Amino acid sequence: MSARYAGDRTTGFASPAADAVEGPIDLSQILDLKNPSRYPVRVRGATFAGRGILDGDILIADTAGSPQAGQLVIAWAAGRVLLAELQKRDKTWWLLSGDDTHPPLQVDPARDVEIWANVTSVVREKA
Amino acid sequence: MLYGLIDCNSFYCSCQRAFDPDLKHRPVVVLSNNDGCAIARTAEAKQLGIKMGEAWHLVRHERKLSDVRWFSSNYPLYADMSRRVYQVLLDYSPRVEPYSIDEMFLDLSGFSNTLHAHCGAMRQAVQQITKVPTCVGWGPTKTIAKLANGLAKDRPELEGLCDLTDPQTRQRFYRNVSVGEVWGVGRRLLPKLHYAGIRTIEQFVEAKPAHIRKIMAVTGLRLQAELQGESCIQISEIAEARKGMACTRSFGRPITTYEEMHEAITGFATRAAEKLRAEGLDAAHIAVFIQTNRHKRDDGWYANQFSISCEPTNDTFTICRHASRLLKQIWLKGYRYAKAGVMLNDLAPHGQQSTLFSMASAKPDHETLLAAMDGINQKFGSGTLFPLSAGIKRDWKPRQAMLSARYTTRLEEIMEAQTW
Repeated sequence: MSARYAGDRTTGFASPAADAVEGPIDLSQILDLKNPSRYPVRVRGATFAGRGILDGDILIADTAGSPQAGQLVIAWAAGRVLLAELQKRDKTWWLLSGDDTHPPLQVDPARDVEIWANVTSVVREKA
Repeated sequence: MLYGLIDCNSFYCSCQRAFDPDLKHRPVVVLSNNDGCAIARTAEAKQLGIKMGEAWHLVRHERKLSDVRWFSSNYPLYADMSRRVYQVLLDYSPRVEPYSIDEMFLDLSGFSNTLHAHCGAMRQAVQQITKVPTCVGWGPTKTIAKLANGLAKDRPELEGLCDLTDPQTRQRFYRNVSVGEVWGVGRRLLPKLHYAGIRTIEQFVEAKPAHIRKIMAVTGLRLQAELQGESCIQISEIAEARKGMACTRSFGRPITTYEEMHEAITGFATRAAEKLRAEGLDAAHIAVFIQTNRHKRDDGWYANQFSISCEPTNDTFTICRHASRLLKQIWLKGYRYAKAGVMLNDLAPHGQQSTLFSMASAKPDHETLLAAMDGINQKFGSGTLFPLSAGIKRDWKPRQAMLSARYTTRLEEIMEAQTW
């Protein structure tokens, strides 16, 4: 069957590459999608276009690990799912909007503002 | 040995909550197939008095339940979240046994000195990574770990962790707790034990072995040993090969015509055969059953089942043909059928069984076709390709009125984040 030939098992002349087959690049491996902490999230809106993130992009979010200043995060704030930039000021974490249209929002689980995951990669299906 | 049991709190509800901030403080209920009964409830929903297994359509309009968010069961989501929980646990135990979709046994033997911290960190990691809250119990046997887990769940002051490794702690607990709390002591066994004067776990453990043996045979002796800290049940890392495979459903509305029932049965046979091939098995026994609603006997009640032995097969078309023949045998006109199913038994690895006078060579070779069908259904979703006799409209399909997105298994349904 066609799917089984990978440059190795030729019928006439032995393939000199038989021991060197590596297969196609597997993006799910590169993006580590099988890791239990990885979740895909769809971007709605364009306020982060300045950081190269467009409406409709797929973000790979990671729920493990700790917060880092300057990182993009998926946050939950008062019932909404947001993409925001994380910054640290006066020992507390703040969510910054992508184009400064909103004032910073303090991360405070007691007030239902919390970090859901860190953004690790961006995927754009159609460039 | 040291065993742990980790159990996900209101697992299906927790999976729904993991992706929907709106559910954070709301009572949430997940319903069984066909949106029938409540099968998972958050603590808030339990507080409102919603019972396990309660028929949702009977209570949903009560005013006190107006704030409850309810969902149809979304098994693709729950399966993937269970997989995530399992994988996180592998970082904390060399051997993890997925006992059910929401509880897993752990081998904790290597961590004796730091167990409390270890289990706390594990629970924290599961919560952070999968957003699913859990409880952990541990002890020298699986039965004790299961008991400890129940304690961790029932007593909030334990903060989700319960250690029953110490015999003295256990003894105090055994004195005050009903033997009905023990893993494997079901509702049928309990009256027999009560009759014999055994009410608490302590009484059970101290009863004469001969006495216990009379009531519940060797299982009882094993349970006694397990409760005393002597491990008899090991961790099994993966489920044993299945002995039977079934595809059964309750219908969204009663089925009254043979044509529709035939479509349903063919659909079930198709799905069951697909599962068979996914596990590399053949079946040599096929059963079909149909039944009316047990609770509505005024409409006339009928239930019947018929089965045959056949040559080992995993061929959708052969299984559908047998199932059709069986249905013809039991079909009775004039009833309102609520449920039906196809069961495959006598399973063995594909191609292994062979009968004398095998007719296999006379069968048309469907292997390539079936492999292609499975491939397409795997890629484009279950039910993309199916025998035409399984029907196209299928409006008897179970109700799933409140299905959430499959956030982790379908790209078109992933969580959306608004840029801010």
